[in-house]
Amino acid sequence: MLAPLIDSKLIDVPMLPEVANKALILSQDAESDASAMAKLVQSDQSLAGHVMRIANSVAYTPLTNLVSLQQAVSRLGMGIISEIALSASIGAKLFKTPGYEQHIAAQWQHALAAGLWAKEVARQSRSNVEVAFLAGLLHSIGRPASLQTILNLAKQQGVSLSHDDIVQLEDRYQHQTSCMVANSWEMPELVIAAIEHYPRYADAPTAATQAAQVSVAIQYATHMLNPDQLDRETLLALPVLAALNIYKDEAEKLLDKSESVAEKLKELAS
Amino acid sequence: MNKDKFDYDVVVIGSGPAGQKSAIQAAKAGERVAIIELDSLFGGACVHRGTIPSKTLRENALRVKNMRQNVALIDFELGEDTEMATLVDRLDDVLKAHDVFMRQQVDRNQIERIHGRASFVNSHTLHINHPSGESNTIKVNKVIIATGSYPRHPDNIPIDHEHILDSDSILSMLYLPSSLTVLGGGVIASEYASIFQALGVKVTMIDRYPTPLGFLDHDMTDIFIAEFEAMGGTWLGNQQVKKVYWDDISEVVTECADGTIIRSQKLLSAAGRLANVDDLQLNNAGLMLNDRGLITVDDKLCTVVSNIYAAGDVIGPPSLASASMEQGRRAACNALGIPIGDSSQLIPAGIYAIPELSSVGLTEKQAREQFGEVIVGKANYSEVARGQISGNTGGMLKIVSDAKGEAILGVMLVGESSTEVVHVGHMAMLCNAKVDIFIESTFNFPTLAEAYRIAAIDIISQRPK
Repeated sequence: MLAPLIDSKLIDVPMLPEVANKALILSQDAESDASAMAKLVQSDQSLAGHVMRIANSVAYTPLTNLVSLQQAVSRLGMGIISEIALSASIGAKLFKTPGYEQHIAAQWQHALAAGLWAKEVARQSRSNVEVAFLAGLLHSIGRPASLQTILNLAKQQGVSLSHDDIVQLEDRYQHQTSCMVANSWEMPELVIAAIEHYPRYADAPTAATQAAQVSVAIQYATHMLNPDQLDRETLLALPVLAALNIYKDEAEKLLDKSESVAEKLKELAS
Repeated sequence: MNKDKFDYDVVVIGSGPAGQKSAIQAAKAGERVAIIELDSLFGGACVHRGTIPSKTLRENALRVKNMRQNVALIDFELGEDTEMATLVDRLDDVLKAHDVFMRQQVDRNQIERIHGRASFVNSHTLHINHPSGESNTIKVNKVIIATGSYPRHPDNIPIDHEHILDSDSILSMLYLPSSLTVLGGGVIASEYASIFQALGVKVTMIDRYPTPLGFLDHDMTDIFIAEFEAMGGTWLGNQQVKKVYWDDISEVVTECADGTIIRSQKLLSAAGRLANVDDLQLNNAGLMLNDRGLITVDDKLCTVVSNIYAAGDVIGPPSLASASMEQGRRAACNALGIPIGDSSQLIPAGIYAIPELSSVGLTEKQAREQFGEVIVGKANYSEVARGQISGNTGGMLKIVSDAKGEAILGVMLVGESSTEVVHVGHMAMLCNAKVDIFIESTFNFPTLAEAYRIAAIDIISQRPK
């Protein structure tokens, strides 16, 4: 059922309701702090994507291709960013995934953690931190979109799906959908390639480093949020670390950043 | 010594310019050689994070500058948000070609490449950690340390490789920033500051010294500053940087001790480099770093431990790829008791800023300190037809001779093609030629090399009667 929709690019990409709400409140508050909006934009995969897509439209930046969030915030100014966030929050279809709110929240938490870990991995490799952040943040953007579409379709068709069935379907289509979303949001090429290739980073024809960084970041995020799912020793023995030329002691040093990553996660997710 | 007790006759740690040349020299002498590289990429920082990437960017910066200089021919404007990938578009091809060439050279000489991190167990034993987590130990007869250097991070500069960058991460920027603060006045700072300014970035260069490139004569650096400022750059000398921070929104803020505040989109900290020896466990081999954090070597590039030699950035200045290559070759020769030949100690220095600067031999200041009286001959590029034709009239060539106006003590250039043109003077010095050679020889017309004749005439006109 879902495959034809993906093929015809009919999957809607909604924004997370909470963040959309926050953007709305901030943009309507004349005394709101610009840094709060910058932080909000950076904290959310959906809003970040919308800001980038709209910021790159001819109406806002003719003859210019904005390729990063910092650049968008810096060049457009907070007023326009607020405008973009507001229009995006009104225009986008919000999630309607009854019964799966916690599921989505947990995934969003993981995506944000992956974005933050990707930054640390990129710093270690001296490669672009913002590309890594965006790719880490958006690597699973297809999950909520897939989930919503699955639920809508099931309802329309009068089909009853179990929780496990739905999660299985979401798993099956999420990567394909993530690539589709990153493309439709016109993310920088490196970000799109990293999202596309991270599951098979070793075979990546382009952006191999960034793809491997996303893969590492996902594992670090999983370990931080669910250590039972991925323990320390298994994490440190992952072949993707060697692919990035990260030695075991360096991988351990990266783990020392867990506390600061967790703090940032708490701050951004709050 | 029984060679069978060793796994290798010579092991070189580091695959940069010094490491490669020493390994090849040792292999050509018939030794069993291995080269250990920490990184997955072969060639060291010079190839992947330094010399080659920055020079590739520089080539495009020069093109942009030249097009802007010739608005009557080309109405050109670089996009405000040009992606860095566009500006180093040929880098991948350049690096791939270089990588293939290096690997072929190493393989042809039957040098074993080992990917891992080496540390000394003792002076003849190395432990190697591999990225896979595996490790092994090898016995070696001679060791050449050529591990290079890495950027120094001052305590008051919170380098995050995102907004506040060092020379390893500066080219990871996704797009050309609108403004850049460069901290430092050395070679790396001057090169990047002028390259980004030529690309249209608003660059502010800040250093504690009055002029950048303090090891060159002031008249040379004055021209560099004038050209940099003519492109729109700002030089702030005699400034102490008190604090640097990212404002959490869009700018890096640099606060100076005198109250000056500079805001920019990105900041490059180029505060020198440190010897890359942290992983080596030098003490296990009986080695210690000197007070400058470098490995001390004698005139044969041998450390205090008789079977361990060192070359390149780990032993300190001049820290030039060209010098490192020659040091690597000599270290291998000395380690194996091979005569090094008549190769000269005269090593030219090239600074790939815009404009280029280059020197060989003594500066005017050094010559005066060493010999007292000297004669200096100068030629401005504005006096040379080629300078006028190319529109690069801001350059200068300077020859320093002895008090008789005969022996060439040094040659310095600033301006277009300096790093190439310097070799005319370099060759003359290697042949112990007198200043007169530049008058007695015929140069192509029009060339910048003609400046040698003008500077030589200037010297001869000052000869004591």
